[in-house]
Amino acid sequence: MIRAARKTGLIFFPAFDWAISPDHPEREERLLYTQDQVLEEGLLDIGGIVEYRVRPAGFEDIRRVHFCVPDEAAVTTESHLISAGGCLMAADAVQKGEVESAFALVRPPGHHAMRVVHGNRGFCNINIEAIMIEYLRETYGIRKVAVVDTDCHHGDGTQDIYWHDPNTLFISIHQDGRTLYPGSGFPEEDGGPNAKGTTVNIPLPPGTGEEGFLYVLDELVMPLLQAFDPEIVINSAGQDNHFNDPITNMNFSAQGYARLNARLKPDIAVLEGGYAVENALPYVNVGIIMAMAGLDISTVKEPNYDQDYRRQRPEITNYIEQLAGGLKRRFLREAAPRTSDREGEVVERSRDIYYDTDGIHERQHEKIRACSECAGALSIASTSNRGQHILAVHIPPGACKACRDTGHRWYEQGEKGPFSHVYLQDRVNRVYRQAGGQG
Amino acid sequence: MILGLDMGGTQTDTVLVERGRVIRATKTPTGDDLLETLRTAIDHTLGDLDPGAITRLAFSTTMATNAIVQDQLEPAGMIVSAGPGMDPAWFSVGPSYHIVDGCLDHQGYEVKPLDRAALVNAVSRIREKQIRVLGLVGKFSVRNPLHELQMAEWVGDVFLHKALGHQVSGVLNFPRRITTTYLNAALYPLQQRFSEALVGILNEKALKAPRYLLKPDGGTVELGKSDALPARTAQSGPAASVMGALALDACKGTTLILDIGGTTTDMAVILEGVPLFNPHGIRLGPYQTLIRSLLTHSLGIGGDSEVRMGKNDQLKIGPLRKGRPMALGGPAPTPTDAMIALNLLDVGEKEAAVGAMATLGAPLGMNGKAVAQTVLTTMAESIAEAVEAFLYEINSQPVYTVHEVLKDTKIDPTSVLIMGGPAPQITPYVGDALELPCRVPPHHDVANAVGAAVARVTTSVTLQADTQRGTVIIPEADLEQDVSHRFGLDQALILGRQVLEEQARRMGAEHETLEVAVTEKQLFNMIRQGRITGQNIRLKMSIIPGLIPHWIRR
Repeated sequence: MIRAARKTGLIFFPAFDWAISPDHPEREERLLYTQDQVLEEGLLDIGGIVEYRVRPAGFEDIRRVHFCVPDEAAVTTESHLISAGGCLMAADAVQKGEVESAFALVRPPGHHAMRVVHGNRGFCNINIEAIMIEYLRETYGIRKVAVVDTDCHHGDGTQDIYWHDPNTLFISIHQDGRTLYPGSGFPEEDGGPNAKGTTVNIPLPPGTGEEGFLYVLDELVMPLLQAFDPEIVINSAGQDNHFNDPITNMNFSAQGYARLNARLKPDIAVLEGGYAVENALPYVNVGIIMAMAGLDISTVKEPNYDQDYRRQRPEITNYIEQLAGGLKRRFLREAAPRTSDREGEVVERSRDIYYDTDGIHERQHEKIRACSECAGALSIASTSNRGQHILAVHIPPGACKACRDTGHRWYEQGEKGPFSHVYLQDRVNRVYRQAGGQG
Repeated sequence: MILGLDMGGTQTDTVLVERGRVIRATKTPTGDDLLETLRTAIDHTLGDLDPGAITRLAFSTTMATNAIVQDQLEPAGMIVSAGPGMDPAWFSVGPSYHIVDGCLDHQGYEVKPLDRAALVNAVSRIREKQIRVLGLVGKFSVRNPLHELQMAEWVGDVFLHKALGHQVSGVLNFPRRITTTYLNAALYPLQQRFSEALVGILNEKALKAPRYLLKPDGGTVELGKSDALPARTAQSGPAASVMGALALDACKGTTLILDIGGTTTDMAVILEGVPLFNPHGIRLGPYQTLIRSLLTHSLGIGGDSEVRMGKNDQLKIGPLRKGRPMALGGPAPTPTDAMIALNLLDVGEKEAAVGAMATLGAPLGMNGKAVAQTVLTTMAESIAEAVEAFLYEINSQPVYTVHEVLKDTKIDPTSVLIMGGPAPQITPYVGDALELPCRVPPHHDVANAVGAAVARVTTSVTLQADTQRGTVIIPEADLEQDVSHRFGLDQALILGRQVLEEQARRMGAEHETLEVAVTEKQLFNMIRQGRITGQNIRLKMSIIPGLIPHWIRR
């Protein structure tokens, strides 16, 4: 019998009875051919590849991450809970030492879901990686986490959730936001005042091929990980950089994804987007599983690779080398020390967020206490065109006393304010509260 | 009257049954020559009975299993075609394994045609080795048998037998398809000889009634139809006892079946009269296969297992069997000796059994009676532990729909049915260890032979329709048809049933036993560029294990 060099957990949940709507791309059929390919390859018979049965996550798992408006039940379905639960299974399997690494091959995805959730953005309602990371912190006492998001779309939801967290390194490699949804993810987006440099965006030009992805992995991602020294590495393994993907313009391949995974060696990989259900996902997923298990990946290839794959053009190679050079200077050589010259001050920002799937417009006003001791107390006032006007207060894990006090004061003030709902997420005391405001 | 026979490793049980009654039951030692054993067992059982009174004969034999485990297989050549993915060289099996270029994708579309020159070359290299049987396997051949059929045609008639991958099972699993096809090719000449010889014996004894072989899925196939896919009759023993349980007990609720034999204890679960299936396929020796089988687990503990003092003064039972119990002149103490020493069983020399127990307990200063009790509680606890692991595994099977996750049906037995020789003696101990009500059916010591006697024909088909491509395929039946865009689930079910029933009749099923179960039914809208462009329908349908109408449970 063939044996895996690394013991690998597979949590497969294709949600064969769930779709966003009858003809939506996030549909029942999405992982059908992936399952066919995985079964035909016989991957599940390989010694050391263990398949787990999923269980749903609970609302308590969501509350560690999100402020759901008006509540969790209103913005999730069972399938979202099971998809998130699949990630928790992966986390448990790795942390209990049953496997060396795990792949949550689940749907629906989550990396566009931000901290405040009014509805569905970019096919995502709740952020399944963030729910897993906060579960890892709560259950296993893990502190430093790195997320490498290799979906073609900028992981703006994960970026939003970890914008202020210096203990989470978020790296997103994606197609340049000037050419693709959600239109964000530029190098200047590098983290909030308490977490400068722990958000890293690598926007690649359309047409980036195997070479380009592996180049930024070797030149940028791996050194960043080495410098950050996380306890656990997570890969948001979206699969829409593929040359067969109809809605993006990248030029990646199953072989490339497999090699990327083999070099990155994530502890946990989580499926994100990718809708070339017949001619990309089956091969990319087989490649990822084989790479995680430490099997020889040299034969991983799409049937149409020899005919249809085009090598990366030289001008793209040049562009990527320049981009990587700039990012290296910014994040590796000239990385600023993480102390704020505005210690104790409250830093504010306002922004508009659009929920493409549900057509919701949200306006946020955010306040963060600049703090060098912790991630800082955070408050978000959020108004949507659905008539919601809420205040959400987040006290991060390991918050210092000043930030805890600030957070509680903001919450108490909020209760008297003009809000339809006021939420508290006190990670230090594990208090999750929701009150109707005076509004 | 029906003759049922179950051949075990050491003993062959034979019964004559009629409408719910066991008329006669015999036990014959299993010898090295299986045909001789069959002949003796039949003679022994029939005695001077009129052979014309026998209306059906059914056998569960160890022929195929022994050939596999003792490596007596006919050398079989293999030709496979794969395309990209796992390297097909990893699945090499047999003395002459060849890979030829060619590729189909997961939808069955041809990506790369088969390399005819390479195939011809492989055939000559196989023939150089004087190999007479051949297995031909393509990746995704169950989605489109084109390449396997081309291989068969291009190879021509130069082999005694060619086994084709898509015919062994409709399930997706290329490596298992390779091994299963290999076993079917490599067992073909043996099975042919065996069935010819068995027919000869039966004819000689004027036993003219229909003859069946038992399969590991709890069903039977007519002896004359067993040659084409011989591997599917391997390792039928555990299925014989499950079918015996169904024949002798109503098996209401969730019933745990324990068959405690001389060397092993086999376990299985019956859910409201329907045994649970192994979701993947049976393992035969070193080979993972696609052969359907009941979900059973075999634990190396039985009445004749060796009992010894292990580390930390803990008794260890099995997995070795050194011989007969000491009370019957054997070399090592056994649980049977414990039963004899405790007066639970009256066979052999009680003194020897008591002595065996006393010797076993001496290092601990325990008397023989106390040790004997400990032997039986230890045996029961070991069985209970294995049952727990077996149930845990069943309940950890992944599920792929929201509905199934939320339904969260756990298999949790409500009672235990215990069979096998030592069943009455060990049952109180097992009941205590499992904390479940236990019962022993009548004829518990020949239940397996009863099961073989009264099991009906089973078979299954896998249907896949793709209305975008305009095809429906049932690989096991070599059926491929064009379908219109309007082909739906109802038509798929009608077609599946029709093909399944035909297949069952060909295998020797009687009309009234054609009870069709739809074990998997999936329909997917195929969405391309935001529009529904077709439907992908997948069905698994089977004639599930059950009893022939002749049998009436008492």
